[in-house]
Amino acid sequence: MKEIWTSIKRTPYQSLSAFLILFFTLFLTLILFVSLTFLYGTLNYLETKPQVTVYFQNKTEENQIFKVRDELMSSGKVLNIKYISKNDAFNIYKQLNKDNPLLLEMVSADILPPSLEIYAKKPIYLPEIAEYLKKQGDIDEVQYEKDIIDKLLVLTNTIRMSALIFFSYLILMSIVVLTTMILFKIALKESEIALLKLIGATDFYIRKPYILESLFLGITASTLSFGIFSFIVLYFNSFLQSYFNGITNLSVDIFNYQLTIWPLNYIFFTIVFVSISIFGTVIASVASYIATNKYLRV
Amino acid sequence: MITFDKVTKKFPLGNTALNDVSFEIDDNQFVFLVGQSGAGKTTILKMITQEIKPTSGSIIVDDFDVTDKNFSQKIDLRRKIGIIFQDFKVLSNKNVFENVAVSLKVIGRDQSEIKTEVKRALELVGLSKKEFVFPVQLSAGELQRVAIARAVIGDRNIILADEPTGNLDPKTAWDIMKIFKKLEGKRTIIIATHNTDIVNSFQKRVLVLKEGKIIKDQRKGGYEL
Repeated sequence: MKEIWTSIKRTPYQSLSAFLILFFTLFLTLILFVSLTFLYGTLNYLETKPQVTVYFQNKTEENQIFKVRDELMSSGKVLNIKYISKNDAFNIYKQLNKDNPLLLEMVSADILPPSLEIYAKKPIYLPEIAEYLKKQGDIDEVQYEKDIIDKLLVLTNTIRMSALIFFSYLILMSIVVLTTMILFKIALKESEIALLKLIGATDFYIRKPYILESLFLGITASTLSFGIFSFIVLYFNSFLQSYFNGITNLSVDIFNYQLTIWPLNYIFFTIVFVSISIFGTVIASVASYIATNKYLRV
Repeated sequence: MITFDKVTKKFPLGNTALNDVSFEIDDNQFVFLVGQSGAGKTTILKMITQEIKPTSGSIIVDDFDVTDKNFSQKIDLRRKIGIIFQDFKVLSNKNVFENVAVSLKVIGRDQSEIKTEVKRALELVGLSKKEFVFPVQLSAGELQRVAIARAVIGDRNIILADEPTGNLDPKTAWDIMKIFKKLEGKRTIIIATHNTDIVNSFQKRVLVLKEGKIIKDQRKGGYEL
């Protein structure tokens, strides 16, 4: 630690530049990473909403509706089907309009159609299910949210691709700048490195102080970027709560583990911190490895 | 033992630094390499440390065949060699003790061993009282003493010195050579030098180089070109 601090003090501007570029990269990475996580969480959430709702005509017998339901379930393309009877529909209507007695007086269970809310296993099955339903008799209307999910999928893919390109550029730029900064520092010690090689030092012995310094800068930059990011997120927590109003839970699958990202929680923050720290140290190590390579050929 | 067998070194631009050079140096022998600038003295020293590889021929240093294509023990070889340069190459950010200790640190010796051996080496070169002094406060002669201490410490049984007195006044140069004299018979010592007085007074083996060839090999010779 003492040697790292001494090295930083000897070349303060190079160290500061290396630190700032690392901080900038890690902070932007953090924003991209968390934004993408939330986008995926939102997509997962929307996929759990009823994807096809079919309204039957008022006169349709329950037996007929159950027949359609059973046929759909046996197709293997449906995850779950919820039957909403006339009475269920009326209860929902009452709940939604509980503050408006006039509307409640005008409607009775008889005029509300029975319906099925169908959850498909995959969004690509939606058109097929909708087509099948339209061909059945006694159908009043088929509604499905394919457009919304398609748009979200396109949006997520576009953002993911743009993020990947931006992210790659950011990594490349950081490694190049960091390597250059470390090269400046090493150039000042070129003769020392040559001497160490001649007296039998291993490459690792020579690299160690530069790698340790880079790791120190990587960990410090990732901690600071995480700290500032967390502060911003917590500062806008009330805004986020109103934005995600009604959404009780957002989660993403990570290696079969269901990670809850909303509401914000310690596990999510810990995973983000660990990921960004690993990322920061890897970038710093790669840069110092490349930089030291140049002076090890004695 | 160091063996050069028909060693030739041609640089890419065509100049020949060594031309069919053969010689043997026994363990603990004291040898001067003399010759004009560009005669090939430094090239021989650099080939022993594997800084330069020969174009042809074979070099064996302490049982290491350094010309073997599969040679992978460069680090082990260099840990047996101590090097002294004309410009000292003392690390300016380290004090005398640390400069000498680096020679043992790179081979992973433990701290107590380093302390004992560095003190002994500093005693040998007469710098016991200056172990915590930084290079900027040392004279040229003292800097060269530090470099010698760094070269002789540990298991380094081959000492290569490239113009060790080249930057020193005659009085200091003699003081430095007295240290080499103390090491005589304990290490293999090869000194490349232009210093006529020193070579003549030591009366040790002298290899005379001219235009990349050994033109004389005298067992108890003087400086004759």
